[in-house]
Amino acid sequence: MSIFVIAETEKGARGLCAGARTLGNEVALVSLSEATRIAGIADAVYAITVPVDALVESAAATVSELIDTKAPEVVLVEPTRRMKVIAGKVASKQGVSVITDAKSIEGAAATSLFFGGIANRKTKSVGDIAIFTATPSIFGDVQPSGSDVVEEIAYIADDTVKLRSREALPPAGVDLTVAKNIIAAGRGFTDEADLQMAHDLAAKMDAEVGCTRPLTEAVNWMPRETYIGVSGLMLSPEVYVGIGVSGQMQHMVGVNTAKTIIAINKDNNAPIFEQADYGLVGDLKTVLPEIIAKL
Amino acid sequence: MNIVTVAKIVCDDQDIQIASDRTLDYSKARPTVSTYDLNAIEAGSLVAAEKGATHIVVSAGTPSIDDTKNNKNILARGVDSLTLIMNDDYADLDAKATAEALAPTVKDLAADVVICGDGSADIYAQQVDVQLAEALGLPVVTAVSKISFEGSALVAERILEAEKEVVEIALPAVVSVVPDIALPRICGMRDIMQAGKKPVTKIDGATVVRGAEVMETLAPEPAPRKKMLFDAGTDGDIDKFVAAVAEAIR
Repeated sequence: MSIFVIAETEKGARGLCAGARTLGNEVALVSLSEATRIAGIADAVYAITVPVDALVESAAATVSELIDTKAPEVVLVEPTRRMKVIAGKVASKQGVSVITDAKSIEGAAATSLFFGGIANRKTKSVGDIAIFTATPSIFGDVQPSGSDVVEEIAYIADDTVKLRSREALPPAGVDLTVAKNIIAAGRGFTDEADLQMAHDLAAKMDAEVGCTRPLTEAVNWMPRETYIGVSGLMLSPEVYVGIGVSGQMQHMVGVNTAKTIIAINKDNNAPIFEQADYGLVGDLKTVLPEIIAKL
Repeated sequence: MNIVTVAKIVCDDQDIQIASDRTLDYSKARPTVSTYDLNAIEAGSLVAAEKGATHIVVSAGTPSIDDTKNNKNILARGVDSLTLIMNDDYADLDAKATAEALAPTVKDLAADVVICGDGSADIYAQQVDVQLAEALGLPVVTAVSKISFEGSALVAERILEAEKEVVEIALPAVVSVVPDIALPRICGMRDIMQAGKKPVTKIDGATVVRGAEVMETLAPEPAPRKKMLFDAGTDGDIDKFVAAVAEAIR
């Protein structure tokens, strides 16, 4: 079976090529940038040079034509904003839909979260091709390999969307995906200054601090890279402590595989207590200093 | 100028029940606008107000999406009219089929700007924007956090994983927006009253061909939790809680 990988980052290219090898015996990488021109991870590398002053997505027409010609059975796509646009355009041309954020793949079908984790939904591609977006982690610990025949594919210009400027966003200060323990601050924090207590507690328990979506959006108290849940981070820490977190499914799905779930909330009816191993009913302003002192 | 915001009407996930065989029971769940589509509608209304444009919201689904309360909730948000495209076979549509269901109506409405939300509450595939643009033969720009106009072009700021871009796109175009673009308004009683007088157009949706089919939807087995609850108001409970935390991180 022939599998195509379309990735934007080096990590994505390596991981998805390794994963592709578990699905089929022929792995080809579509490389749209220097970052993904990597040796030894695929049988063929189709290199498309996108001009620096063009949108990366403008390569969609070129990629679509390549896929038309090579007719792979499966396309694995890194789930970034740009790659999702390219995947969608390829899918439209092929008369299928991209099955996104696959947690597991079986032939032309994949299982993804439904309503952010209320259920798992298995969806099958209708057509001769199945296009999935997936993070490399779903394939477990596998290594990429390949003989690397590099073929340059001529870029078909597409300037329907013009790039005016591009700048790097400030890098995320912390990488919550590798943190052993996680503290999440929720809307129960009514004063920004109180977040210091979450950081103080984190220092005591070797944890990093993340948050629920309102803390990055309704108020701009936390960096947007740190929100946990649907469309944010999906984590699997040893210990998760939700402080002032109500327990809304959209957030909890990002941590519900934690080994231990701990909750602090002043509302004893907060749904998070139903999903926690240990819960403390109390006002965070008074209980946090005491917990930090005693821990 | 016509602004068309495409919104998904889903069942309220707060009221989805899980049956004993792990299937989902939607019987108690009311139709509601998918969360982030409210931000898209707000963005559409802000743009329409600025440009003196007409703002139309379009949705496609089974006839269950036609709900008086939900229709008013949409129309109370600075929206001029609502068009519902309905067909009994529109349950669980994939992005390609959704685009096919929406495209003829969006085309008829002569949209200059088609706005889509960040992703739907149920499948969050972030694909209808691209598929709809392809079905309409229009350019698309995603992850937009700011919209402005310069002459006949739309200038959009977009937030990607590690970069920020400013792009220029000729109209008509499809633009999908991140939730940060606009916070949904809190509708007042007057807005809701007036919404009841605004037009709702109901269209029989044409048959569409699916690009993906749902095989099964099952709730996962929940991880068993200890559910030990302590109360800060009870003497000694904080100590017991701290001991439990200390044990967990040991």
